[in-house]
Amino acid sequence: MHRVLRDKLAIAIFVLPGLAFFVLTFVAPILLSGYYSLTDTLGPGTDVKMIGLDNYLELFHDERFWLALRNALLLGAGFVILQHPVCIAFAVLLDRIGGKAEKWFRTIFFIPCVISVVVISRMWLSLLDPTFGMFNKVLAGIGLSSWQHVWLGDPKTALGSLLGILIWAGFGWGLLFYYAGVKGIPEELYEAARLDGATGLKLHLRITVPLLSPVISVQVTLAIITALKQMETVFLTTNGGPGDSTQFLAVYLYNQAFAASRYGYANAISILFIVVCLIATYLSNQFIRDKSTEY
Amino acid sequence: MSTTRKKVLWAFFLLVAFVQLFPLIWLLNFSIVDANAFFSSKILLWPEVPKWHNYVNAWVDGKFPKYFLNSLIVTGSTIVLTVVMSISLAYAFTRMHWKWRSFFYTVILLGIMIPIHATLLPNFAIFKALGLTDSYWGLILPYTAVSVPLSTFILTGFMRSIPSAMEESAVMDGASIYRIVFQIILPLTMPAVVTVAVTTFLTCWNEFIMAATFISKDSLKTLPFSVMNFAGLYSSDYGSQFAVMVLTSVPAIVIYAMFNEKITKGVTAGAVKG
Repeated sequence: MHRVLRDKLAIAIFVLPGLAFFVLTFVAPILLSGYYSLTDTLGPGTDVKMIGLDNYLELFHDERFWLALRNALLLGAGFVILQHPVCIAFAVLLDRIGGKAEKWFRTIFFIPCVISVVVISRMWLSLLDPTFGMFNKVLAGIGLSSWQHVWLGDPKTALGSLLGILIWAGFGWGLLFYYAGVKGIPEELYEAARLDGATGLKLHLRITVPLLSPVISVQVTLAIITALKQMETVFLTTNGGPGDSTQFLAVYLYNQAFAASRYGYANAISILFIVVCLIATYLSNQFIRDKSTEY
Repeated sequence: MSTTRKKVLWAFFLLVAFVQLFPLIWLLNFSIVDANAFFSSKILLWPEVPKWHNYVNAWVDGKFPKYFLNSLIVTGSTIVLTVVMSISLAYAFTRMHWKWRSFFYTVILLGIMIPIHATLLPNFAIFKALGLTDSYWGLILPYTAVSVPLSTFILTGFMRSIPSAMEESAVMDGASIYRIVFQIILPLTMPAVVTVAVTTFLTCWNEFIMAATFISKDSLKTLPFSVMNFAGLYSSDYGSQFAVMVLTSVPAIVIYAMFNEKITKGVTAGAVKG
């Protein structure tokens, strides 16, 4: 339309700073990471020797790398199977309760989401502590002493416990997104379905779930990305252990870089990590596109 | 819905809320308890003499005021930079006409998908070379860079939904593009700007791993570190540790209580557009 909106100088002033930031924190590091991944350097500022693709070859045979990937997938599956159906159910119930209660409970359920990951991690370490933790005390209190356990210290229960912590911490976000989706469903559709004789669970399986499917697809994608990117909570609670039972890509690369001083190798993990995230995003986008054409 | 069913739902929600918040109630409770009492078999306990001194320890030895100020400087600067940059980008992407528009929009959005943990190692090397580690900028720059993609996405969506009639008349009147963006568009997009500001606040205020990597000077550390440092300093005094955790969480909860409607509105607007 106007000359003003084609002003090249203005466009440059609007776009270049954002782009510069993007280059500084995303493009340049990825390029540098690509370079370091071909070396055996111990850390920035130390000797650099090119070793070609050796790091990548090693990585393909590195069990811990695959284990980290498997754990991310298990965690993602845990989110999708355990957390999301509960979030959807609560979103529907929250919409039904109405009035002041709707607002109050929505606010309360979200509170864990505003608390720092450091506090959440340290708090759960204490809650699950085998000697003074509340969790085992509660189990004893309700007569389930035999269930008492070193939850984060046993390879069998560590990943499950982490999933529990993350579900607790992320429940509010999931609920909020689905709640927003439920709010977008027109009331007339429910009335029409009721006239056709659908009630209760059947009503929601026929109306709510199909109409929420765009939101569900996006949320499932996000859940998988979140699982892949998992770092801080793991780093601050189990740090990948016991054994490698809670190993995750980001934790593994961090410890390889700073604890094991294998900076070059860690950068190779970084590069594959980005590739995995982009592939996961691409695949789920394709999946969403296929799905959304059905409705 | 019948009143009985509503009452049942109420009771159910109350129960769930109680169970969900119980860990936090426990944290609050034991933050005023002497460390020795931690090993009693009681789940919650009201101490005969509440040990308020835990909070004195947290405030003084946890260096709460200093870390709080650092968090405030870093988070505040990040919010301002993020809002200015995202609104400029969103305007250029929605209203202005140029060749590479959709290409650069896609590029910026990639920033949402790329994990920050993967760029952490090389960024450390780059920031070190540029002398940015151990400075406020060493946190403000990466925090802004991480916040801009999502914020631009939210603001672009919002801007598309507002009519351009007001800008058109402003253009006719000969207003400059910068006045249009910051005097006309900014007030119109205020609801989305608040959402962006609040989400940016929550991410930066609570961020841990970049702060742990880029900052080693104690005088520049942010609030989450008060918890970490204190855990080392008072390793057996759990009561004081809990007091630090409570203190650290309070600002975020207060901000949330003030703006929680805005968060919901922002998410709702995003979800409806799909």
